Amino acid sequence: MYYPEPISKLIDSFTKLPGIGPKTAVRLAFFVLNMKDDDVLEFANALVNAKRELSHCSICGHITDQDPCTICQDTSRDSSIICVVQDPKDVIAMEKMKEYHGKYHVLHGAISPMDGIGPEDINVPDLLNRLKDEEVKEIILATNPNIEGEATAMYISRLVKPSGIKTTRIAHGLPVGGDLEYADEVTLSKALEGRRDL
Amino acid sequence: MHIEQLQLRNYRNYSKLDISFDDKVNVIIGENAQGKTNLMEAIYVLAFSKSHRTPREKELIQWEKEYAKIEGRITKRKQSFPLEIIVSSKGKKAKLNRIEQKRLSDYIGTLNVVMFAPEDLTLVKGPPQIRRRFIDMELGQIQPRYIYHLGQYQKVLKQRNYLLKQIQRRQTSDKTMLEVLTEQMVEHAATLLERRFVFLDLLRKWAAPIHHGISRGLETLEIRYNPTIEVSEREKREKIETIYLNKFHEIQEKEMERGTTLIGPHRDDLIFYVNNKDVQTFGSQGQQRTTALSIKLAEIDLIYNEVGEYPILLLDDVLSELDDFRQSHLLNTIQGKVQTFVSTTSVDGINHETLKKAELFRVSDGNVYT
Repeated sequence: MYYPEPISKLIDSFTKLPGIGPKTAVRLAFFVLNMKDDDVLEFANALVNAKRELSHCSICGHITDQDPCTICQDTSRDSSIICVVQDPKDVIAMEKMKEYHGKYHVLHGAISPMDGIGPEDINVPDLLNRLKDEEVKEIILATNPNIEGEATAMYISRLVKPSGIKTTRIAHGLPVGGDLEYADEVTLSKALEGRRDL
Repeated sequence: MHIEQLQLRNYRNYSKLDISFDDKVNVIIGENAQGKTNLMEAIYVLAFSKSHRTPREKELIQWEKEYAKIEGRITKRKQSFPLEIIVSSKGKKAKLNRIEQKRLSDYIGTLNVVMFAPEDLTLVKGPPQIRRRFIDMELGQIQPRYIYHLGQYQKVLKQRNYLLKQIQRRQTSDKTMLEVLTEQMVEHAATLLERRFVFLDLLRKWAAPIHHGISRGLETLEIRYNPTIEVSEREKREKIETIYLNKFHEIQEKEMERGTTLIGPHRDDLIFYVNNKDVQTFGSQGQQRTTALSIKLAEIDLIYNEVGEYPILLLDDVLSELDDFRQSHLLNTIQGKVQTFVSTTSVDGINHETLKKAELFRVSDGNVYT
């Protein structure tokens, strides 16, 4: 061993983070050694607290420090619309837009038989229960536009359709402010499929 | 189009090679196991980003080296630009004009290559996956979007097979999910089939007269596509989707029992007929060889008409296997218009104008001498 045990443990911990290889881990670990004691303590506390104090909202599954989460508690929001997303980060993205005032449902993944992820592994049963209990008029399926996300959206819509609740899928197509000529063929053909009356 | 220069680093038995080529015919001469095929393979990899000989990319890296690099300077539509393929233990990078292309469908098709090697005889004789691979590769290089659709199809297929396996083992009984995946699969399957039909039409158009010529007017070549559903090649996408959906519905029980997807483009085949006889089963060795050659030569014209430029032709050790008539037919076809690489152990006995004007390269133990 080249490093004393405390620092080699720290290096090992850093390598567990995504996007951090052995070299970066060493650099970060030595940086921590040179940090002020207070800063290190604050950093350590932030790590522990983020994990300890955050949980998943029992209604929508979004990450939160209070249960139910602030979005689910907010009575000014339209609870007749639920936007279904794959990831808590997707909720943040939607919220940044400031245009959507309905509620959310976070699946934490997409259905993928290959990875052994079935509908019951991703919060789908909770969604169906919500539909029974709450007065929901519309479900917006905002899963990712790839094979797994698309399959998940189709799956949910098949389960929800018989109940008569309106199910919609977010549009795919050209990025706003982009040039038509730079769009790839698949995006263009999706955009053409989803064209609308003017 | 043609390759002006080729640079290899740590590639198979080439530690370092910098070489310039003639834009017409280049003959690569050498004893066995000196590196002739490796050189041909390098050009192939530059075009398709994968080898025709092995699916294990690490084999391309020289023993105990970190990475292998192939760089070629290409001239296409009067423009000259570099292409690069770098293979390392971390993976593969494909660069076009020094910019890395994350999606292979953005890279493949830049350099068009037609290769004819002894193993191409298996195109007629071999198992169906060789013919499917042929369609996929050739269609991919003239229509890079096809590669994208193929990738999507293979992904859904994999998901669907996993689900069917789970149903077979009674780990799940979720028919809704199966229906969803079937619907997704049908969409991509119909796209693939529609594009394959268009490609086959072109291939027939160019291969039939060539085969007629090579066989001195004695043989007629017919290419049939053998799909797993009953469908006419004239059908439009929507109709193909409906046929697939109905068929999947029909065989659902069987698929759940077997735990795998039983129909789709991944199970289709090509059948070659010469004078109304299936060449794979009833053709002579000579007829099989002529068929493979016709198909390969047809590609040259096909690519020229679709892309607007002739592809690069790689003839790996095949000239000696052809009789005089077929040899001169082949050499007449390429004369003066297609940049060609011919590898052979010796040029003795080949007396064609085209070869006399060719540039000669001698390969010996990972070195090339002009």
